[in-house]
Formats: sequence, structure tokens, C-alpha cells
Amino acid sequence: MNTIILNGSPKGTKGNSEIFARQFIKTMKHPCEVKYIAKENPQQLAEFVRNFDAIIIVMPLYVHAMPGIVMKFIEQLRPAKKGQAIGFIIQAGFPETAHERYIENYLRLLAQELNYTYLGTVCKGEAAGTYMKPEFMNKKLFKQLNHLGRIYEQTGAFDKGIKEKFGHPYKLSKFQLIFLQQLEQTGIGKIGWHKFLKANNAYDQRLDRPFL
Amino acid sequence: MKTVIIKEYGDFTIPDTYVLDLTQVTVKDCLGCWTCWWKTPGRCVHKDLDEFYTKYVNADKVIIFSKVTRGFVSGNLKTLFDRSIPHYLPYTTYTTGETMHVPRYERYPDVEVYYQGEFASEEGRKVYEDYICRTFYQFYFKGISVKPINDFCLEEVI
Ligand SMILES: Cc1cc2nc3c(=O)[nH]c(=O)nc-3n(C[C@H](O)[C@H](O)[C@H](O)COP(=O)(O)O)c2cc1C
Repeated sequence: MNTIILNGSPKGTKGNSEIFARQFIKTMKHPCEVKYIAKENPQQLAEFVRNFDAIIIVMPLYVHAMPGIVMKFIEQLRPAKKGQAIGFIIQAGFPETAHERYIENYLRLLAQELNYTYLGTVCKGEAAGTYMKPEFMNKKLFKQLNHLGRIYEQTGAFDKGIKEKFGHPYKLSKFQLIFLQQLEQTGIGKIGWHKFLKANNAYDQRLDRPFL
Repeated sequence: MKTVIIKEYGDFTIPDTYVLDLTQVTVKDCLGCWTCWWKTPGRCVHKDLDEFYTKYVNADKVIIFSKVTRGFVSGNLKTLFDRSIPHYLPYTTYTTGETMHVPRYERYPDVEVYYQGEFASEEGRKVYEDYICRTFYQFYFKGISVKPINDFCLEEVI
């Protein structure tokens, strides 16, 4: 299938969606073309994607859904030409993919309403730090994304096994909750944030309420 | 009572309210740069919403007249939602059994959403309503209601 990948992150080539998209196409025989919603005029892009059999949008979760710029593109998206397909890969900060269920429901109905064959939505949590991690820490993730892409190229579908693995945890287990609450109470969970704040000389302002 | 109106349609003149008129204003899109968390905590790198933010975080009630677009909130309104992130701290909490951010402010307003537009199905309507309720729940808003515009009653709002 002649597939176009749309990167829906406002950060374009500098974000995690970029890494996900690149790894997805990395081991394909004929890697798909990638376009950046952040750089394109939504109307022209909606016209352009009509030349493809399939559209895959790779994007971050923003406030439980797609970033505003992706919705601006969806506003322009035209009904499918005969047989056109659409699918989504969403990566997010929070670990549990239950946060993606609202947007997933919406995207399924959108595909239906516009007559696209729905390829599904692959969701992966705990992804906000992907771009900061050394390569070896991302190795497993990248292998899975390579596999997802290769299988997609061969079959025109998202691999069920990878989709399921990425979807875990859907909700936090009791054990995970206890562990995370521990990090919260001891303040360990804040250490990473404080490093960023200090690096920007903003540590003392971290609790500011500038608009009161 | 301090009320903020965000509107994408209609001409509701409600006395003593601050209005963000999205039929006239295009909100600058979130860049995902994290300036609002790491560099100038609580402040977005864009300044176009500063006056609105002041009204918003101090309001008792926010009324949104949302135009249903492709069965969802419009891109412009979605961008406004994205740009609410500065009003929360980067820290996460798990006390509700799921991940949530910690509030930056002590209190947040109530919200009433009145939507105009059609859905392809009843399921579509539910998806839209659930999404909005979910969003404001995670934003720590207390009273949350989402209704079609036909249910809007000016007397009740004032
Ligand atoms: C404005 C904004 C809103 C976000 N909302 C959510 C959210 O609701 N749930 C979540 O798990 N992550 C959320 N995130 C985190 C991003 O999904 C995460 O950092 C992602 O990896 C960013 O991808 P990118 O680098 O491709 O833009 C949000 C990030 C931003 C900037």
C-alpha cells in the first residue's frame, strides 16, 4: 500500500513522534514518505493525502486527544476515495493507555464517518522521555516499532501482538500504584523535574501562580 | 460571580462577563516546548492569552459555546485546551488510582459547555461529551456540565 505518514507533533522533527515514525519505517523495503502537519497548510495537506492508499498519523497525546494542529488538519480531511485507509499511532507521557480511550473512540468513528477503512490506533504510554534516553534504553521499543512497520508493509495492518504490548498497562495495577505513590510521597518522582527547573534557573519559581 | 465566556458561535450578551471570542481570535498553537514548566513556570511562551488566563484562573464559572466540528471540539478550541497545561504542575499524583498532574492553583472554576452542531450517531455525541467531561475532570474543575445549546437558559446562567 502506498502509505503517507503524517507526523502530528508540534515539535516536528525534534519530538518523540519523529522517533516513532522513523523507527516505524526504518526496516521497510520501501520506507513511506513522512510529512509534518506542523509545517504544512492543513487544506493543502488534506488534498495531498488523497494520492495515497493509506494515511498513518503518528502523534503525541495532548490533553487526552490530538494536538490542536492535528484537529485543524482533521477539519480539512476529505471523505476517503474508494478503498482509502487511515490509522493512528499515539504516544503519550502517562504510563497507562486508558488515557487514550477517549480519542481512540473518536478516531474510530471519524474513520467510519469519512468512509476510510480503519487500520486501528496503536497507543504507547510512558514515551515522553524517549528523545532523552540513550539508545540502549530504547532498544526494545525501537525493535518493536521496526517490527510494527515491517509487518505493516507486508500486510497493510498493525501487528496485533505489538499493539497489545504497547497498550500495557491499560490501567495501573495495585502494585504499580503503590510503587508510584511511594515515589510521589518520598519526592523521588520530582527529582527529574527539579533538574530541568534548576538547569533553567527556574527552581524557585516552580510553584508560581502568575495569573492570580 | 466572575464568569468567563468562550464562544465559537452565537451572540449571547451576558452582563459582567469576560468574553474570548473564538470566532474572531485564532489562539496560537502549543509548540510543545515545555517553557511553561521548565523555564517560566505557569507562563506560556506565547503571550496572546495572558489577559484571558488572568480572567480564567480567577473565574467562578466558565461557559463554553462550542461548535461541534467533525464530531469533536474544533482545532482552535482544542489548542485552547492544550494551552491550559501551564495551569498545572509537572508533578504527577496517583491518589485517584490513575496518573494526574498536580494542580498549580488552589481552585479552578466550574464549567458549562453548550454545543451546537450535529453528530453522525448517538455514539458520536457520547464520545464528544465524555471527552469534554474527562478533560475538565483532569483539570480539577468541580461542576462540569456538557449540553446541547437548546438546553441553554440565559436566566439560569446570570
Ligand atoms: C500540551 C501538552 C499536553 C499533553 N497532554 C498529555 C496527556 O493528556 N496525557 C499524556 O499522557 N501525555 C500528555 N502530554 C505528553 C506528550 O504526549 C508526550 O510528551 C509526548 O511524548 C510528546 O511527543 P512529541 O515529542 O512528539 O511532541 C502532553 C504534552 C503537552 C505538551
